[in-house]
Formats: sequence, C-alpha cells, structure tokens
Amino acid sequence: MSLLSMLSSSVLTAAPVPVADVHQAFDMGWAGLILWLPLLSLIACGCCAMMRCTSKLPAWITVGSLAGSFVTAMFLYLNYEPPGDVVNIVRWIDLSWVGGGFEANISFYIDSLSLLWILFVTGLGTLIAFYASEYMETDLGSGYCRFFAGVSVFLFAMSALVLADNLVLLYLGWEGVGFASYWLIGYYYTKPEAVAAAKKAFIVNRIGDLGLALAVYLCWTSFGTVQYDELVTVIESGDYARMTDDWSVAAIPWLLMLAAFGKSAQLPLYVWLPDAMEGPTPVSALIHAATMVTAGIYLLARMYPVFLLDGDHTALHVVAWVGGLTALLAATIGMAQYDIKRIMAYSTVSQLGYMFMGLGVLTTYGAAYHVFTHAFFKAALFLTCGAVMHGFAGQLDLRKLSGLRHMKGWKITSYAMLIGCLCLAGFPFTSGYFSKDAILAEAFVTHGPGFQWLGFMALFTAGLTAYYTFRVWFRVCAGPVSYEAGDDHHGDDHGHDDGHFHPHAPRFAMNSVMAIIAIGALVAAVPYFMDSGVKGGWIADMVNDSTASEGIPAVRAAADHAADHAHGSLFGYDPHVAMYWVSGGVGFIGIAIAAWLHLFRREDAVSLRRALLSRSATAWLPRAMERKWYVDEIYHALIRAPLWVGSHVLHGIDRILVDMVLVDGTAKLPRLLGRWVQPLTNGTVHASATAMAGGVALLVIVVLLILHLGVFA
Amino acid sequence: MNIVELLIPELILLAGSVACAIVGVSTRRSMRDALPAVAIAALGAAIAWTLCCGDTLAEAAPMPALSKWVTVVGCGLGMLLVLLNAGTADRDYEAAVAAGRTKFDPLRTTRGEFYVFMLLSIGGLLLAAKARDLIWLFLALELTSLPTYVMVAMSRREQRAQEASMKYFFLGAMSAAMFLYGFALLYGATGTVELAAMHEVFTAQQGDVGMIALVGMLLAILGIAFKLAAVPMHLYAADVYEGAASSVTAFLGFVPKAAGAIAVMGLLWTMGMHADGWLLPPMVEVMLWVMAVLTMTLGNVAALLQSSAKRMLGWSSVAHSGYILIGVIAGPDHGGWAAVLVYLLGYGLSNTGAFAALAALRRGGNEVESLEDLSGLAERHRGAAWTLAISSGSLLGFPPLLGFWGKLLLFIAGVSSGHIVLVVIAGLNSAISAAYYLKLVALPLMGASTARSREVEPLSVQWPRIAGLIAAAAVILLPIGLPAIAACAAAVLVN
Repeated sequence: MSLLSMLSSSVLTAAPVPVADVHQAFDMGWAGLILWLPLLSLIACGCCAMMRCTSKLPAWITVGSLAGSFVTAMFLYLNYEPPGDVVNIVRWIDLSWVGGGFEANISFYIDSLSLLWILFVTGLGTLIAFYASEYMETDLGSGYCRFFAGVSVFLFAMSALVLADNLVLLYLGWEGVGFASYWLIGYYYTKPEAVAAAKKAFIVNRIGDLGLALAVYLCWTSFGTVQYDELVTVIESGDYARMTDDWSVAAIPWLLMLAAFGKSAQLPLYVWLPDAMEGPTPVSALIHAATMVTAGIYLLARMYPVFLLDGDHTALHVVAWVGGLTALLAATIGMAQYDIKRIMAYSTVSQLGYMFMGLGVLTTYGAAYHVFTHAFFKAALFLTCGAVMHGFAGQLDLRKLSGLRHMKGWKITSYAMLIGCLCLAGFPFTSGYFSKDAILAEAFVTHGPGFQWLGFMALFTAGLTAYYTFRVWFRVCAGPVSYEAGDDHHGDDHGHDDGHFHPHAPRFAMNSVMAIIAIGALVAAVPYFMDSGVKGGWIADMVNDSTASEGIPAVRAAADHAADHAHGSLFGYDPHVAMYWVSGGVGFIGIAIAAWLHLFRREDAVSLRRALLSRSATAWLPRAMERKWYVDEIYHALIRAPLWVGSHVLHGIDRILVDMVLVDGTAKLPRLLGRWVQPLTNGTVHASATAMAGGVALLVIVVLLILHLGVFA
Repeated sequence: MNIVELLIPELILLAGSVACAIVGVSTRRSMRDALPAVAIAALGAAIAWTLCCGDTLAEAAPMPALSKWVTVVGCGLGMLLVLLNAGTADRDYEAAVAAGRTKFDPLRTTRGEFYVFMLLSIGGLLLAAKARDLIWLFLALELTSLPTYVMVAMSRREQRAQEASMKYFFLGAMSAAMFLYGFALLYGATGTVELAAMHEVFTAQQGDVGMIALVGMLLAILGIAFKLAAVPMHLYAADVYEGAASSVTAFLGFVPKAAGAIAVMGLLWTMGMHADGWLLPPMVEVMLWVMAVLTMTLGNVAALLQSSAKRMLGWSSVAHSGYILIGVIAGPDHGGWAAVLVYLLGYGLSNTGAFAALAALRRGGNEVESLEDLSGLAERHRGAAWTLAISSGSLLGFPPLLGFWGKLLLFIAGVSSGHIVLVVIAGLNSAISAAYYLKLVALPLMGASTARSREVEPLSVQWPRIAGLIAAAAVILLPIGLPAIAACAAAVLVN
C-alpha cells in the first residue's frame, strides 16, 4: 500500500480555506530583512561599481546578504504557526481618505505556501550566488558588480512577489523579477543575440503582465480588496455576487492564466525562455529554472480560490491541457537540440508544463512538490552545464564533448549532473519520481475533459524526458574522452597560447555548490515521507495551510466527491499504485533508448537520423523538431510580420495625415483663424472687450443648444 | 459673534499696509529695505491670529470654516509672493539713489505703495472667503483686483507694463459690470442679497429655479470668470501676464484666481446645495462644463504654440482654471471643492516657483523670457534651473509632486461625481500640457547652453531666488503630509 494511495483514500474533514483568520503580527518587523538585505546588497554593489572595485567584494556582499535573507526566512519558518501571519513592514498605499478604501501595504503574508517558496528561493539564491562568484570571475570589475547587483535586484523582487500580502505588491515583484531577468539575460550586452533575447523575454512577458494588471484591477472592482486574507473572506462569504457583474469575476482566472503563462513560459508564450539562455549560466539556473519561472505556479496556487469559484472548473481544465501540451511540445523539441543548455531550457518549459498540469488536475500539492524538487535538480543540471561551458570556453554542443567523467577534476560535475538527470528522468525513488507521479496519477483520477488522454500524453512525455535527459549525460559525461573547445575567448587563461586547449576544471566554489545542490536534489525526496499531520508529508502540510489547500487530493476528496474519486483507473488498477510501475517502466525505456543511441552505439543515432531524413514521408519529423516546430517562424509570420507591415502603414499615415495634415495644418489653423479674427484680438482694449462680450453670447448660445439637443446626459 | 472680531486678519493686513505706506516714504534706505519684512510680518500676524484665536464664522456664510483655510493658505502664499517681489518696484530708482545719481524723492517713490497694494489684494481674497452677501462678495472681489491693476503698472518702468495695466483695468471693469448685473438679477429673483437667504429661496423652489435667477447666475459666473481667466473672459491674460514683471505675474496667477474660484463656489452653493445632495441646474452645469473644456483646451493649445516661457506659463495658467472648474462642478459632496482647495495650494506654489525662477534672472537688464534664454541654465544657475524644472513638473502633475496629488484629487472627484467625459478630456489636456511643460523641465537641465543663455545673469536681489527654492521645496515636501492636508480641506467644507 503506497503512501499515495493512502493519500487519496484517507478522509479528512472538509475545512474552509484557512486564510480568513490569519492574525496580524506586529512584533515581526524583522521579517522585513528578507526584503531589505538584497536591497542593501544592490546599493553596496552599486557603490563597488562606483569605486571601481576589481576584487570579489560584490560577490561576498551578495552571498552574505542572501544568506542573511535565508536565515531570516528560516526563523520565520520556525516561528510559523498555522494559519499564518500578516506582518506589516511599511505602510505603502493607503487611499482610505478618498473613499473606496483602497489599501496596499508592504506587508508579508506568511503562510506555508509563501514560506515554502521563500525558503527555496533564498536558499538556492545564496548557493548560486556563491557559485557565480567563481563562474563570473573572468569579468571582475564593473561587469562583476553589474551581475551581482542584478542578482540582488532579482532576489529583492522575488521576495516581494512571494511574500506580498496583496496583489499590488505581488505585481511590483512580478515586474521587478521581469526587469531583473531582462537585466541579466542582456548581461553580455555586446552580443547581439543576448540583447535580442533580453528584448524578447521582456516583450513576451509584457503580454502576460497585461493580464496580471487587468486581473488585479478586476479583483479590486469585483471583490473590493486586493489583500489575500480579505479576498478569501469575501469569496467565501459570497458577498461579491451582489456587488458586481458576473463576467468580471469569471474573467479573473483567465487573466491570471495569461500572466502565469507568460512568466512561467507556457504555450503560447514560452518562446522567450529558450532564448533566455544567452544570459550567464548561474542566471539561467536561478532565474530561468529554479525560481522566477515558478512564479506563475505560485500565482495560480495563491489565487486558487478564484479558480474554484466556477463549479465546472473550466479554467482549470484549460490550465491542465495547456500544461500537458506544453510539456509534450517542449520535450519533443528538447530531444532534437544539440546545445545542452537549450535542452535544459526546453526541459524546464516541459517540467513547468507538468506543474501547470498538476494545478489543472486539482493537485496543488503535486504542483508545489514538483516546483520544489525541480528547483533543486534543474539548478544542479544548469550549474553542471555552466561548469562545462566555463571549462571548455563556451562549448555546449553535445556532439563535441564526451567522457567527462573520466577526466581529472570533472568527477563532481559529472555525478552531480547524473543525479540531476536521474531526478529529471523520474528514476525510481529519486525526488523527481515522487513529485512527477503525484501529478501523473492525479491526471488519471480527476474528472475532466479527456483527462485520461492527458494522462497518457504526460506519461509519453515522461518517456521522452528520460530519453533526452540521458542523451545529454551519456554523450557529455560517459563514453570515450574527447572534446573540442568552444569559441569563447573572453578569458586569457584558457591556454590558447601554446596551441593546445586545456579545459580548466571547476574549483572549490563551483564544486561545493554543485555537490550541495545535487545532494539537495536527492534529499528533496525525503519531505515526501515526513508525515507531519497531513498525509502526503511535509510538502502537503505546507500547501494545506494556504489558499491552495483545496488542491490537496485528500482534502478535496473529502470535500466534494469522495465517492467519485476512485473512478479513474489505469489498466484496471488504482492509478496511484499503477503509476509507480508504469512511470518507472517508461523512464527505464527512455533511458535504455538513450543508452543505445548515445552511449553504446552512437553511430546508430546518426544512421537513424539519416534514415529518417532520406524518406520524404518521415523527413519532416527530425527537421521540424530541430527547427522547434517552426514556432518562432509562425509567430514571425502571424504576429511580427503583420505588426511590421501595420507599423509601416501607420508610420506612413502618421507622416502624411498626422504630421502634414493634422499637425502642420493645426499649426496653421490658429494663424489662419488669427488672421480672420485679427480685428478682434489686435491687442487693443475695445477689440478684447468686444471679443469677450461676443464670447459670452456665443457661450450662452452653445449652452442653450446643448440643452436643446439633449446631448448632455 | 462680533463681526469686527471676525475681520481681525483683514484689519491686521490693513494696519500692515498703512505701516508699509509710512515706511515706504522714509528717507533712510535701510528702512525702505525693511518693507518686505513689514509686509511679511503683517501676513504672519494674520496667520498667527487665525490659527491661535481665530474663530469661524458661525452663521450666514456658505462654508464657515473656509475662511480659516483661505487665510492660512492665502497669507502663507502671500508671504512667499512678497518675498518674490522684494525688489520688484523701484529697483532702478533705488539703484540710482544708491549710486548718488539722483536724490531720494518721497513723492516719486512707489516702493511702499507696492506692498500696500499687495496686502490689500490679499485682504480682498480673505474677505471673499468670508462673504455672506452679494455686496460683500462684490467688494471683496474688487478689493482683490483693483490693487493688482496698479501693481502691473508699477512693476516695471516700461510702456508695455502701463499698457497691460490699462487693458487689465478696463476689461476688469467690464467684467465687474457683468457680474454686478448678474448679482442684480439674482437679487431681483430672490429679493435678498444674503447668500443664506438666497439658498433658502432656491431650496424652497425645489430645483425649479426661475429664468431670471438662472441668467443672473450665468452672468455672475461669467463675470467672475475674468478673475479666473477662464474662457471666454481670458482674452486679457496673455497680454497682461506678459506685460507685468514676472514676479507680479506670479501674484496675478494666484490671488485673483483663488478669489474667483472661492466666489464661484460660494455663489453655486446657494443654488446647488439641496437637502439630498449636490445638484446644479442643468443650464449652469452645462455652462461650467463647456467653460472647463474650452478653458483647458484653449489654454494648453495656446501655451503649446508659444516660444516665450513667460507667455507659455501665462497661457498654461488659463488651462489650470479649466482643471479647477472640474472640481467646482463636482461639488462639495464628492470631494470636488476640497480638491479645488488642495489644487489651488499646489498650483499656487508651483506657479510661484516657476515665475520666481524667471524673476530671479536677468539678461542684459531685461527679463528672461524666451525658451532660448533658458537652455542649459543648470550649468550656471543651478538653483533657478531646478526650481523651474520642479515647479513645471508639479504644474504638469508629475508624481510625486504636489501638483500631481491636486490633479489626482480633482480627477477622482470628477469621476465620482459622474463627469467621466470631462475627466477624460482633462486627461488628454494633461498630455498636451506635457509637451510644453517638459520643455521647461528638460531645457534648463539637459539643453545645451546657447549664446543667449550664456548672457543670463542672476538678479542683484537674492530674495526671488530664495522664494523659488522655498516653493520648490514645499512642492516636494508637502505631499508627505497630504492625507492631513486633504483631510483638513475636506473638513473646512463641512457645515
């Protein structure tokens, strides 16, 4: 009897969302340190840049303050008592004196969900900043300061996003992380690709941000508040129904979805994330894998009650399907890429798809758990990729790297990557195995349009994931030793002088961080077994006390359809039991195929590709996958090209109609008019007096006319 | 309550003006130099008396506590304006006397009188807020305006100033005739000149106001629109504002305008205040609406076309009257009038700051006027450049400066009273105004200095610059206390 099946069959008493009765904590102002320390570090990095510091001082300042944030978050967690606290830090926007009573303060909403997030955000942030202290050392000087200032901005904004007790502060953090992401993707601003990627990320994110801005506005007009505790109270009381139109309440989940799909790189807005890999690798690990891109999942989990308002859960069904399709699409693209960092980027998109699927199939627990484990194993994968890139002068092509684990100084990198790959592939008893299964099984159990098919699709995707993950590891770390250097010459110590290339292995800072995070990725399986009251372990416990508690299978089963719940089945077995075997088996198949094509008989992979390409019936498949299903090209044709044409047409109209006719014409009009009425306004007193009297008469006539026509309601 | 006791602030100002008249003819230069101090002391004493022992008009005025607010704000800004005008009148004459080129002649000097007129005009503003009947209101408005006609003429020894003064006087007289005619019609329609009694009559008519009263009200408002420089009574504004010295233009932009706005609110109160809330007769509301739209649009478009900074600011002050009218239309119920009061404070400070920056500079013995003179100002005149930039930013309504909050409150009041179209038009107008206000922000700070702007020199007198810096500082710092200020403004309107 597995824990998962116990989870679904156990019956808990249905409780209301445990948010309405949080207490206001006034003696916890020190929690603000989580926010202020990164801000201080930002200022300090700025000062370093101004003083032309060329040491590693900015890194130590950043690591120190982020560690301080983490310790503060840890204290918060140790002090935490359900259902949580609202900690007021600074009174910010308080418009109670104009009526309407809009209030949004810089206050923290400390419940288990925000604690879960802030713990791994600050913890991983500290570790990755430490890693970056070595990784970025070729840029010592102003670039180094700029990098760590960007990391500080990011942590500041991300903490605000996660800890905010209202949607306005969340929005601030949301924009802030977007800005930090733009800043850091464009870090190598002399590279055109990096600049283009930064712009793409920013612009695509703006589309999502528009959704969030509208959602915040509609929340305020519909529920009269933007603070979570009041929001939930209003929703549970049902009072809003009298105050507002139906459509605005119904629109909120869709707008939130748009926001989440932008930030967390889901269809159709995922295109920015793979390009974002132009940033330095620690950034990819921290922002574009572990933390920022999970903000969308956090947002939906936080606003889960709004999604549950609709009894049919239509919005959630869409979330599930979008997530599932994104997972499949990104996995197929990832299979055919050669750049290992890009493969990791597509796998991030794919895993984020799983998380949204989890939210959609009513397991916020599974989604949150997958966020947690993914943060560790994907950070480990990115950091090891970064180590390879750092050591081999920017080489990322998996065809040009091989046998890393046999080389001196690359053991930790290779095995940390192996651990990451095992977790990502869902190898039995790793953390990724448990968290992914929680989502997969639930897809078969929950009632929804075609959710059975969604489940099979996700299973298939899991197989693909195992394949492309181990394709990387078998190619890069296993096999005979051979390598080619990349063309990145920005450091002078790469040994090009003597005509030979010597890869330089990671040293203490990078090695220790990779080791710690890899161990963390393994240990992330443990919370699953930590039974602390709620069945499903520590993670379920953390979700249970928050707005997302409805998404815990046990609670939900008890709440509405205990009887229906067991109806889903997989091959005639209880899905939770079956899933262990099935997903484990699928993973094994994927790894086996990868081992065949990329470890034992690498030439078969080449001949397979050639065989596919030689037949016109199948040639499209590898081509389309390598060209990422032409999504960028489709967007270019459907959106960019029409916009380009439109903008040129408008530019023409602007030149001719606006500039020549309206502006120049308008500018001439007063002069013409002036010439016409010159006798009246030639500056003499009687002319002015006549004009005034005439103006009075004219005005009265206009007023009478308006009243007569009745245009003035 | 004894009526004399109520008028103590005005009596203090009267005493101060008498003192100024006496000190002004003193043969000792140091005594004459103390004139601004005397005027400021009188204004300070008026504020002090109002804050410490000034009671509010308990009966018969539309808004009893309003006078307290107007006294404090009017006298406070008055102090700043006196500081700005220290050295405006007779500057050349005093310089000649000091250089020994001529002997001091008490019959020739106008320096003392200048401050007399300033204090009397501010006294008129204070009286307008206390008016309990039409005659009082008429006298108060004329007391506000008449001294300003003379001030324009005195402000500089140029033909342009004399011409502007004459024009201002004649057109002002015409407008006075117009609103006096309106007052007469109102009296004819209601049989009383007391505002409270008129209010009772109109209330008894249950919103069905007769035609004579309506026409009277329209004429009264249109006449007073001259003080506001609102369309169609704005035609004097550009010429007069340009003809007067910049320091006096700052005065013209605030004191008569505030008096006009308060007088219009007092008059409208009689007709619009009902037991069940604020409701103006459609005719009056439509006229105010049209006036507001025309005023802000015309003011902004005209300001956009100017190449002289002074004319630009002059036209823009016309536009600001349009914004003020939004709050007037919104009425006391939706926070409109409170917003008008806050807006007047912010506008007064920013306007003073902007003109102070111009008044603090000279180019070849003339006023600094054209935009070209201002380009790259920050290189050599940092204080003036920043004063101009901050004040223009506030006039534009750039957050978080005071002007922004005033405008925000006006727009909120407009929306909550249902005049959404009007607020949208005002928003568009704000965008138009950004085109020229940002010039005044960007040119001094970021523009390249030109041959003309390198000839700009600071004025020999320090005070205008200091007045500008105080105004700019207030524009930045006052938003901190905004909730208190807004609450105070709302409180004075509660009966």
